[in-house]
Parts: sequence; C-alpha cells; structure tokens
Amino acid sequence: MTRALALLSCALPLAVLADEKADLRDRQLELLRAEVAGEVQHQAAELLDELVYGWTQKPPFDVDTAVVLAGVSVPVSLGTGLEAYLENHVAGLLTKNRATHVQLVHCPACSAWVVHSGAKGTVVSRGFDDPESLTQAGVASGSKHALFLDFEAEGSSLVLRARVTTLDKTLAIVAARTLTTATSAPAMLRDGERLTSVAEARKQYLEALGGRGLFLVPVRFGVRSFGPGTQTSFNATPFLWVSVGLEAAFSQARAWTASINAGFSWLLQSHVAVMAQGRLARLLSGSTTSLTWPDLYGFVGAGVMFAQGRGVLVFRNTNPTIDEIFNLNTNNEPRTTLGILTIGLELRVKNRISLIGFLETLPALETTDNIGNVLDLGFIRFQSFGVEVSFCF
Amino acid sequence: MRAAPLFMATLCGCVIDPLVFKSKAERRNLDCYRLPEAEAAARFPGQVPPPPAKEIAGPTTDVLVCSKRYLEPDERKARDEAILSSLSQQVNELTESAGALAPPGARWHVDAFYPSAPVAQKIAVAARTTLAERGLVVSDRVPLLAAGDVSVLAAMLPTEAYPTGCARAFATDVLSGDDVFLALMIVDPKETLLHGGLCVRGGWRWLP
Repeated sequence: MTRALALLSCALPLAVLADEKADLRDRQLELLRAEVAGEVQHQAAELLDELVYGWTQKPPFDVDTAVVLAGVSVPVSLGTGLEAYLENHVAGLLTKNRATHVQLVHCPACSAWVVHSGAKGTVVSRGFDDPESLTQAGVASGSKHALFLDFEAEGSSLVLRARVTTLDKTLAIVAARTLTTATSAPAMLRDGERLTSVAEARKQYLEALGGRGLFLVPVRFGVRSFGPGTQTSFNATPFLWVSVGLEAAFSQARAWTASINAGFSWLLQSHVAVMAQGRLARLLSGSTTSLTWPDLYGFVGAGVMFAQGRGVLVFRNTNPTIDEIFNLNTNNEPRTTLGILTIGLELRVKNRISLIGFLETLPALETTDNIGNVLDLGFIRFQSFGVEVSFCF
Repeated sequence: MRAAPLFMATLCGCVIDPLVFKSKAERRNLDCYRLPEAEAAARFPGQVPPPPAKEIAGPTTDVLVCSKRYLEPDERKARDEAILSSLSQQVNELTESAGALAPPGARWHVDAFYPSAPVAQKIAVAARTTLAERGLVVSDRVPLLAAGDVSVLAAMLPTEAYPTGCARAFATDVLSGDDVFLALMIVDPKETLLHGGLCVRGGWRWLP
C-alpha cells in the first residue's frame, strides 16, 4: 500500500509535467503559425480565398463568363512582387474552382497604355479604361468583363476591394465586394483545390493541432494468401491476422514513417502463428499529409513469421504425407519459421483509417513446389499477397 | 513584416505580457482591442488558456489582443498613412451622405483628387466599391473634361474649381442628366480628412 502511494505520488507530477510540456509546444506552434500566417502576402491570399469561396457559393455570373484580370493593386508602398504573387494566386483559385463561373482570359493589350484619337481629342488610357479603343484596334480579348482587385492596409487590417466591370462604353460595375481581415486573426492558409469556409478551415486546423502526435498505434486486421503450388493440389490456407504495433513519423509532415508490429493468427485445426514485422513508408501523394484528402503511402518491410500446426505442412520443400496430414498429436505438430520481405501501398484517411495492399516474398520458399508465385518479376518473385484494414489510435 | 498578435491577460497572469518590453514607439504602432477570456481562448488556442469552468458563467477576465500595423509609421508619408488608415470609415461616411442626396436610379461616377495618384486611385476605388455594394448603379468610367477646361480649373481655388468643373461637365455633355458625379478630395494640402462633393445636373453640393 505504501509502495503504491509512493508510485502514485511520483506519477502525478510526471503527468502534470507532460501536460505542461504539451501546452508549451501548442503555444510555440500557434505563435510560429501566427507569425507566418500573419504576413501580408498570406493575409492577402486569405482574402482572395474568401472572395473566391464566396463566389463558389454565390457566383457573380449565372453561366461561365470570360473575364480579364484587369488589375491587382497592392497597398501603397508595397512592391510589384506582391502583385505578381496575388495575380498568380487568384488565377490558380479561379482555375481550380469552376463553380465561380469566372473564366480568366488573357488580354495583354487590356492593361497596356493606349492612345486613342477621336473627334473629342486624344485620350491616353489603359485598355480596360477605354474599351472602344481596343475594339477599334482589333485587339479585344473577346471578354466583356474585367476584374479589378485592390488591396490596402488600413492600420492592422488588410482590405480587399474587388469589382467586376463590363468592358463596354458604360464600364458598369456588375459585382463588388469588400473583404477585411479579422483583426489579429492569422490567415487560415486554405487549400485552393477545395476551398472551405473560414469556420471549416479553422475546425480542420484545430483538429490537426489536437491530433498531430508523432506516434500512432495501428491495429491491423488482414488476410494473407499464398500462391497455389505447381506440383500439388494441397494449397496453403489463407492466414487471418490481427496485429498491433507502433508507428513513428519523422516529422509533422508524416512524409516518412516507420512502424513495428506484432501479429497473431489462428485457425482451428490448421495453425497458430505469430509474426514480427517492421515497415518503412514514404508518402507518395504529396510532401505532407492532407487534412481533406486520403494519403497514399508506399512501403517496404521485413519480418519473421513462426507458425505451428498442420496448416504449415506446405511451407516445406517436400510434399506432405498422408500420415502428416492426419497426425492429431499436438506434441508433434509441424513448425516453420519464415523470413518475409514486403512491399505495398497504403491508402490512409486523416491518420485514422487505412486500407493496405501488399505483396510478399518468402526467400525460404522460392524452391518449393508447394507454394507458387502470385507475381514473378524475374528478378524477384512474390509468393504471398494480402490486404489489411488498419485503425490508428 | 507583421508580428503575431500580442496578448495581455489582465488578471490571470497566465500569459506573458509582451507589451512590457515594448518601447513607446513600438506601442504606438499597435492596434489593440479587448476580448472576453473564453472567446480569446477559442480564437487563440495554446496562447490563451481556457478560463476555469466557474468563470464561464460568472464574471470573466478580459484579454487584450494587440496587432502590429501592416506598415511601419515611416513607410508611407504621414498624410497618406492618415488617409489610408481610416479609408473605409471616411469613405463609408461620405458615400452614405452622398447616397441620401442623389436622385434614385442615377448612374454614379466617382473620382478622387489627391496629390498622390496611387492614393487618389485607392480613394476612388473604395468609394466605387462601397456604392456598388449598396446596390447603386456605378460606372468605373471617370468623366474627363477637355484639357483647356482643366488648365483653367487648376488656376482656381478649390472652393470655386469644383462647382465650376461640375457645371462645365454638364454643359459639355461629359455628364448627362442621369449621371451623378461624386468627388472626394482634400481641400487643404495639410489636412488628413477627406471632403466630398456631389455633382447632379450641373449643380454642385458639398457633402456635410
């Protein structure tokens, strides 16, 4: 009793320390993120995200409409590099989000200075300010609308004023919107491919903040099948496996992960098997895991399997005999130990659930006739294949 | 360019108060506002700890959230900075006044008269966008007087130049009877407050 109390008194401060450490890490991560996301280019991109997201919900046009990106102006005293970045960003967003019905078209002459002489005199203006001159010069883009984006820093707020005008004599404004950054709120850094609302993006971020640990405990349920033998009609029974392990990521991006796991398989009157395996996985679907889309990993692994029972008779170089098959003496069951090399693919959703497919080569069985190949690439032959469903905790 | 928000919890002392270490000049460059602690904890997880459960229902602690301005005070001219920092507010007030004076259904034209062309453009764009967002018919076209008219107007005092220019635009068909022209300007080169005037059917009226 005294010993238990002593242990408890030691464990409680340790738990508190661990919590404080996690809090400190949270705080540092949030500060770092806010510092990066608070930069003007990210805030400006955030406003464009919000503008285009708003247009996906309530498009400015009923049908797909060609629009010239007439101008992007940045806060007074900031440079043209930011203009170029924002032009690219809005073009990317509009290309990826067709629901806006805004189709950007190229019109270099629209932003060029043009000189137009008429009955009322000579006018020097930019093309989109004087569409008649463009029409007369025959350099019109075919677009009848122009998009203007104007950013201005007003104290600690960044304001975006967007307007779409007709490219005719009236230059009428057909759509206008003013958006302001919420004071001191860092940009949500949304994915342009599939824009979400600020609230959804915030929720995703908080989920990521809460579930971003470097370690996971995967629990896998799977089945392994072996290739049919070439000289015998006695095939190996598929093995059903339950395994549990530990997976570590090398960074928060989870681009590289390594895992070890221990598995157990049992089938009545056939076999009892245990296995230890290690895997090294590389993210193939990007440089960092996605919060919204499944991630695809490729992996290689190595392991060792020990199996006992009549079901493992085929994992030998000799054909099983009738006596061995009907041998009911549990003290004299056949046993085998096999080394396994694995390659496979894993489709994982938000580091929680995954579907795994793999091929395995068992070097010890390459010469046996009892187990055939499921895939022969010449330089390597795979004798086993399997699928697994994994739940990560 | 822009630092992360700075926090000061007034009572709990859980968050370090970075303002203590700031100079006066640095403090002047901050925009600050107060938030209830519960809201601040939700908006800034990891930086502001959630309040104790008993405080959620009862009196709560304020958190002072401060952000640096995007541009340092000396990055723009003082007058430009003063105008641009309050651009939305000033333009909203002026367009609201103008909207009340203009005839319904009119087509709006807007221009700004300010010594710096980029700032003038910002003012005009802000006004056009604000009017269009209110559902008014707004044109991006700027009414242009002939060069001779402009040279005469440039020699006049602002109080005379704008009404004269308005009458001249209507007389030369630059503006029609359906058009309304809103001009935003500073009258004195030293002031940082925008003025507005409305030109309707050749008649000029300063906005209150």
